[in-house]
Amino acid sequence: MIKAEKLTKIFRTDEVETTALNAVSFEIKKGEFVAIMGPSGCGKSTLLNILGLLDNPSAGTYTFLDHEVSKSNERHRAGLRKHNIGFVFQNFNLIDELTVFENIELPLIYLKMASRDRRERVNEVLEQMQIAHRAKHFPLQLSGGQQQRVAVARAVIAKPALILADEPTGNLDSAHGEEVMNLLNDLNIIGTTIIMVTHSQRDAEYSRRVIRLFDGQIINENFKKNYI
Amino acid sequence: MYLYQLKIAFRNIFKHKISSTINVFGLAIGLASFILILLYVVDELSYDRYHKNADSIYRLVSISDFEGVGEESASAPFPVAPTLMNEFPGMIEKVIRIFNFQAPRSLIKVGDKAYNERNLFFADSNFFQVFDYNFIYGDPQSALNESFAVVITKQTAEKYFGQENPMGKTIRYQDRIDLMVTGVVDQIPSTSHFTWDFMASMSSAKTFFRGSLPKTWVWNPCWTYIQLKSGINQSQLESKLPEFVKKYYYDATKESIRLYLQALTDIHLHSHIDYEIEPNGNISYVYILSAIACFLLIIAIINFMNLSTATSSSRTIEIGMKKVIGVEKWQLVFQFVGEALIISFLALIFSLIIVEISLPYFNVLANKQLSLSMFLEPFWAGVLFLIGFLTGLLSGLYPAFYLSSFQPLNVLKGHFDGGPRTIVARKVLVVIQFTISIGLIISTLTAFDQLHFLRTAKLGFNKDAIVYIQVTGNPIVTKYESFKNELLANPDIQAVTCVDDIFGVAHNTHEFRPEGVPEDKWQFYPALVVDEDFVKTFDIQIVAGRDYNRNNKTDAANGMLINEAMVKYLGWGANENALGKKFKSLSGDERVIGVFKDFNATSLHTTLSPFVLNIKENENEKYFFLKFIAVRINGEKNANTLSFIESKFNQYAPGRPFECSFLTDELNKQYIEETRLSRFSLGLTILIIVVAGLGLFGLVSYMIAQRNREICIRLTIGAGMKEMFLLFSKEYLWLILLSNLIAWPVSWLLLHRWLESFAYHINLDIIYFIVAAISSIMLTLAIILWRTISAIRSNPLKALRWE
Repeated sequence: MIKAEKLTKIFRTDEVETTALNAVSFEIKKGEFVAIMGPSGCGKSTLLNILGLLDNPSAGTYTFLDHEVSKSNERHRAGLRKHNIGFVFQNFNLIDELTVFENIELPLIYLKMASRDRRERVNEVLEQMQIAHRAKHFPLQLSGGQQQRVAVARAVIAKPALILADEPTGNLDSAHGEEVMNLLNDLNIIGTTIIMVTHSQRDAEYSRRVIRLFDGQIINENFKKNYI
Repeated sequence: MYLYQLKIAFRNIFKHKISSTINVFGLAIGLASFILILLYVVDELSYDRYHKNADSIYRLVSISDFEGVGEESASAPFPVAPTLMNEFPGMIEKVIRIFNFQAPRSLIKVGDKAYNERNLFFADSNFFQVFDYNFIYGDPQSALNESFAVVITKQTAEKYFGQENPMGKTIRYQDRIDLMVTGVVDQIPSTSHFTWDFMASMSSAKTFFRGSLPKTWVWNPCWTYIQLKSGINQSQLESKLPEFVKKYYYDATKESIRLYLQALTDIHLHSHIDYEIEPNGNISYVYILSAIACFLLIIAIINFMNLSTATSSSRTIEIGMKKVIGVEKWQLVFQFVGEALIISFLALIFSLIIVEISLPYFNVLANKQLSLSMFLEPFWAGVLFLIGFLTGLLSGLYPAFYLSSFQPLNVLKGHFDGGPRTIVARKVLVVIQFTISIGLIISTLTAFDQLHFLRTAKLGFNKDAIVYIQVTGNPIVTKYESFKNELLANPDIQAVTCVDDIFGVAHNTHEFRPEGVPEDKWQFYPALVVDEDFVKTFDIQIVAGRDYNRNNKTDAANGMLINEAMVKYLGWGANENALGKKFKSLSGDERVIGVFKDFNATSLHTTLSPFVLNIKENENEKYFFLKFIAVRINGEKNANTLSFIESKFNQYAPGRPFECSFLTDELNKQYIEETRLSRFSLGLTILIIVVAGLGLFGLVSYMIAQRNREICIRLTIGAGMKEMFLLFSKEYLWLILLSNLIAWPVSWLLLHRWLESFAYHINLDIIYFIVAAISSIMLTLAIILWRTISAIRSNPLKALRWE
């Protein structure tokens, strides 16, 4: 599903040149649950952004679902994202002006799904995430855990092949964090590929593989035995 | 998707109450002003276009230039029209004259009703074949075919005949002839360069000229309109006119006269020549008002742009998430422009309400009958929609591209920074707003100063406490001496005289031949026909020689007063040298008996020129020329004296309506366009300051909100109100100073040009520039102080905890 070869990302400002990723290569197959770990500034989020087609690498190639996208324009990347990738962020990134229902519905609107189909699909996901009773609430009326459930619901609503989660439990207490990780795990079990950036060893335990980054390079890749 | 976008748009509008209110309110004010001025401008531009053949109708204008002195006349001699028709039948479809005896008023009587009517004309029989009016009764083809026929307006018919059908009924004109009503037309559209209530057949006027119309090519009292044949253009006929002048005008004048055509539809806004039927508008003022209205709308649009980008930090998650889930940039642009359009159309609805409420007041100010009904026509409805659409588009495009260009990665991580470019852009927009506002403050103050100058300038005569009594064709003229003596018996009446025009407003030109000018070279000089005591009544200074003296029997027949400019013009050297010089007029050989100090015989738009005060001896001439009695009274608008004058008038002219006015009012009417412009620009400038101030208020509010954490930290470490105020003030103060720096020279240049259009004007006063600078700085500081106090009054610890 994902093949990265010598992915490099260099950020340049007027005086400083920072290499965030330095010739990173790996492959992720469909259905995998991969955790990316490493200290702050090691390039985790940069890698996630490139994998999520939010950014292009400075060098190297990135093949996503058989498309070489390292030099794709924003329009092409947006099209691929829209149909194939769901995102979960540490700070939820829910739109305050929209209700829970509307937040979850958002990706389907831009996929031009018919209104009735959208309603059915959102209700289905609301049930699945056990937040149906909160459908008409606004994000600020929810607890952190509930907000992240809504964010996960939004990420899965379009049935993406890949979910990218950036510190999904970072803003949650342990109980709510565990709930969210279980949700991701459940999604992985039914076949969704998940790539998760995390600082938490506990969260990483849910994954089948851990990629460790340091100074923009992969220093370690651990496959769990039961997965291999 | 659209419903969703509409939903989010409205939720955003309600969420950001301050900016939404400023945006909607600002745009509504901008649009309302724009719509009002649009109504005004459309009305001004539509003058005379309602005539079916408007595009092929021209007015004949003659320029008489006698070595720098003369006139540019909107009217022509009687024989010109028929001669033109005979001379150029292949080019002219029709030609018509209208004529009013150059009388400001005409006495009309029907039964016991008698009024002095100002809008009575005599016209050639084909008048209604050239100009189109809606006939209620009568036939436009034949209504003026017969002598003593008159067509009247519906309002006039109601005034004299009530609900009766006036057709066939007679009205008495000047107590001399009866005119029979042969047609009634609907109200004359207000968009006419002249309005009329009575249009009598030209042949009826023959009675006053011993049976035939004047044949002279000198006296030019007929406004002459030419309808060109299809396919003939203005320049084709104009190229023939020099030959025409040579062939028909008198030898004494033909070298000095040039004829040209003036498009009917250009008259109202472009013609400011001698003997206009009514004062016209001014295209420059149409441009100025349009520009100010556009500025106001632009300032409101800038508010929208600034507040949209300033408050965009609250929408970063929405934008970022949409980008993340694959929404493309154009879709976001579309969304934000859509939101701007919603605001714009919301503002448009409010603006129409504002316009509807303010139209009655605006109409009084503009002296028009404008209404929103214009927008019921499909074209104008489309224009209105387009105004709303373009306003929304202009307001929304920049914020839309700005917001949609956010990098999702950055904004979702909370690394939102408007970036230096945006901050610079916002500041540039603030500078534009304040440059316009400051420029308009300076301009409005200057315009008012100029208007005050026009109204109060020393004209070379005393204009105060002069009562003008209209006596055109009034038998009182024949008993004038006796009437005058009775008036002078009242101690509150200082002086009485007679004159043929409103002094300081209008005058005619008359033919003269001063000493030294060849026999065949008659000159046309500006002149007033006056009577004894004119100099005394108007307090004119004699600088050489003497005034007319009734005891000197030859004065009326042979005496002539000229001004200093005339002495210079004729190259006679010292004023005293002019005394006794021959000055032939149509009345015979005359001599200069006195030289008076120059005065402004017309408005201050024009420079003073050589001038003659001529006295008539012949009773018939007096009857024809003397149209006003001017009375100097003690104290302006003394009611007792006025009623005394009226009682004497009624005694001497029983059955004649008494009509008087004050000279100061008549003089001020000359500056009606300037008065209107000043008032409009004052109103619009106040609105501009309000809208720009609101925009600044919004920006400062959001700047302070964004820097809440900084404020709190500064406050907790001991900063006080003064420090905070200075901190925020310097952000904006230098922008206002920069705006002043730009506005000052631009205003100076434009105002200098405007003032140059007046022959007499004030000098640009630095004080107005300083006032504009101080008021803009004070406004800015007041807004910042207000918002700073509000911020400081909030609990700093709360904000820190929140952060």
